[in-house]
Amino acid sequence: MWAIFFLPLLAALPVTLPAQESETALANPFTSDADVAAGEKTFLSQCASCHGRDGRGGGGGPDLTTGRYKRTSTDEGIFQIINKGIPGTTMPGFMLNAGPVWKVVAYLRSLNLSRSHQGVPGDAALGQALYAKFRCAGCHESTAPDLKLVAGNRSAGELKSSILDPSAEVPSAYWRVKLTLRSGQTLSGARLNEDTFTMQLRTREGLRSLAKTDIARAEIDRSSPMPSFKGKLTEAELGDLLAYVSRGAK
Amino acid sequence: MKIALFLTACSIALGQGQNWPMYNGNYASQHYSTLTQVTPANAGKLAVDWVFQARSLEKFETTPIVVDGVMYLTEAPNNVVALDPVTGRQFWSYEHKLPELTHPCCGRVNRGVTLSDGVIYHVTHDAKLLALDAKTGRIKWETAVANYKEAYALTHAPLVVKDKVIVGPAGGELGIRGFLAAYDTKTGKELWRFNIIPGPGEPGHESWGGDSWKHGGGSIWVTGSYDPELNLTYWGTGNPGPDWNPGMRPGDNLYTDSVVALDADTGKLKWHFQFTPHDEWDWDAAQVPVLADIQLNGRLRKTMLWGNRNGFYYVLDRATGEFLMGKPFVKQTWASGLDDKGRPMKIAGRGPSRQGTQTWPGVQGGTNWYAPSFSPRTGLFYLTAWEDYHSTYYFWDQQYEQGKWFAGGGVKAPVPPTNRESVVTRTTEDGYAIVRALDPATGKVVWDFKMQDMSESGILTTASDVLFSGNREGWFFALNARTGALLWKKYLGGQVIASPIAYEAGGKQYVSIAAGTSLFTFTLSQ
Repeated sequence: MWAIFFLPLLAALPVTLPAQESETALANPFTSDADVAAGEKTFLSQCASCHGRDGRGGGGGPDLTTGRYKRTSTDEGIFQIINKGIPGTTMPGFMLNAGPVWKVVAYLRSLNLSRSHQGVPGDAALGQALYAKFRCAGCHESTAPDLKLVAGNRSAGELKSSILDPSAEVPSAYWRVKLTLRSGQTLSGARLNEDTFTMQLRTREGLRSLAKTDIARAEIDRSSPMPSFKGKLTEAELGDLLAYVSRGAK
Repeated sequence: MKIALFLTACSIALGQGQNWPMYNGNYASQHYSTLTQVTPANAGKLAVDWVFQARSLEKFETTPIVVDGVMYLTEAPNNVVALDPVTGRQFWSYEHKLPELTHPCCGRVNRGVTLSDGVIYHVTHDAKLLALDAKTGRIKWETAVANYKEAYALTHAPLVVKDKVIVGPAGGELGIRGFLAAYDTKTGKELWRFNIIPGPGEPGHESWGGDSWKHGGGSIWVTGSYDPELNLTYWGTGNPGPDWNPGMRPGDNLYTDSVVALDADTGKLKWHFQFTPHDEWDWDAAQVPVLADIQLNGRLRKTMLWGNRNGFYYVLDRATGEFLMGKPFVKQTWASGLDDKGRPMKIAGRGPSRQGTQTWPGVQGGTNWYAPSFSPRTGLFYLTAWEDYHSTYYFWDQQYEQGKWFAGGGVKAPVPPTNRESVVTRTTEDGYAIVRALDPATGKVVWDFKMQDMSESGILTTASDVLFSGNREGWFFALNARTGALLWKKYLGGQVIASPIAYEAGGKQYVSIAAGTSLFTFTLSQ
């Protein structure tokens, strides 16, 4: 029934870029478990080479499991991107028939890790109080990872590991560096960017850009400045904090 | 010996002078300019003279040509532009209208055009070969090379040899069956065709199990070379398909991942050399065949120098295809070496698996399609290499469907492929790019210029021993071709995924490179 109804509707879709979404975006008519399974099959065949077998990227395409997409937020927007591709990038248009594309959309939605956070046990309100008590916002709302963004990229288990052992795995974007310059001066701060000839960092005093020819020695610190909460929280408190954080600390 | 090198190299590199007349500079594809105005002593005075801004924000992989006072380049998806190489002002542009859906694998790129006898030859994603009047940009004729709906798409600059223009299609990730074809420069009529994936009854067909040859890949996406004395044209061929599920295509899969030497008049195969038989990693031999005459064991040989995506450097006899030497030029973990015929001795268990297999080099290879260079003056072979770089390779089941992705697996790598990252915090532990100068006869490293991130920039050397290259950080720089010492650098702010050229106009030497979505042209400041 849907398929019969849908085909003329697809033909009427405006030929616009995904970013220019209408307010009355089409809903996905294919969302059953069987549709998700069919979507996974198409994803594996057509998408996984770049987006990864698990959808988390790594082959050139971005992570699709976060529930947030750079260029769209609607099912119709994802549908359009799969059909037409993204000009200026290596994402091609596929122009599969409508049904298979909608099923891929359903599969992508099923990968959304932040949805799985809905099931995290614990009292988010109590977690919010702990978040305030430990003054987490002091860092996480300035230079430390923005939890509104990070939560969608991490499973609850990964978030828990980060709270208990923050230095176990620190992405390179958060590494710090201590520099000894040829002048003898030392500098330390967040290592923001580096190329063959220059390095950019954020020090207490502000943003600095240095020529590597001026740097005598660079020591990268890959640990996290965040304290471990192992032994500082009861299991129940940890659950509450996790419930709050996994919803994006909001 | 240096003089002998210079003379013999010139014999196959004639006809260049102040121009950059074809994609790789000359038929020998040495990516070498005879111009000498910019030297190691004055390269520090290079400054931007003009900038051409492409109208498209898509990947800009063009290498311009410059002939007698006009520069011709391509911009995405399939436009051709003719402009003044002194000011950058445009004479004309040709805009090719594409169907809504074409199938370039990895972005709507085009790498350039070629010119012969007042005609520009240009290929398109809807698998056409066009002849344009170089004065007007108007179409003189067009020919359908293949059916674009079956995922054939053309991306490379054509090669004109005598009265023929030679091209081949890309589409190795989409189940094409590759070929090279020659067309009459005057009429566009097809004159010969060589099947890179041999059909039933053709030699090499036995290297494909079952029906796997039907969608065996073997694409063409980088311009080949030509030796007028031997009348042979050389082309590097793409990966077999599906890329990462080799179990679907038993056998050596000829003539994928090979160099083929064809009689330029007839298209008949004179010889072939397969770098990666039964490829499991997507290591196309889509590199530029560099022709150079070098001393080897006390004898001047007509050779072909080849840094391959599979991580090995090769020297072949370009008259016979004989393997003369080969050795790794970057870290590799898939072969214990090459046998005396140059065939890799594969190490078991290094191919893709369902759970993933970590192998060096990674999927983008030890090097790739961007131009290497040979300087007859220094006698060195230069290439952009990805050192200590790996990927994790996976395979999965794959069905062929017309116009659809047909790769049979995928990869994960700590370093992304072509990418417009404005911030990079990776370290060189995940791999890094180098401009590497090799002694061509021995494959020994003479010097390295190490970078932080990767590079997809080709290399230009000049007769004044200046080497130009760039990287995807957005830098463009000049090195001393003898020592690798940095002479000059300029931040252009966009990744370089093209090869630099040099030309002379109005008595001045210019150097051009595409970066980001612009073409930057430099000359010495007064």
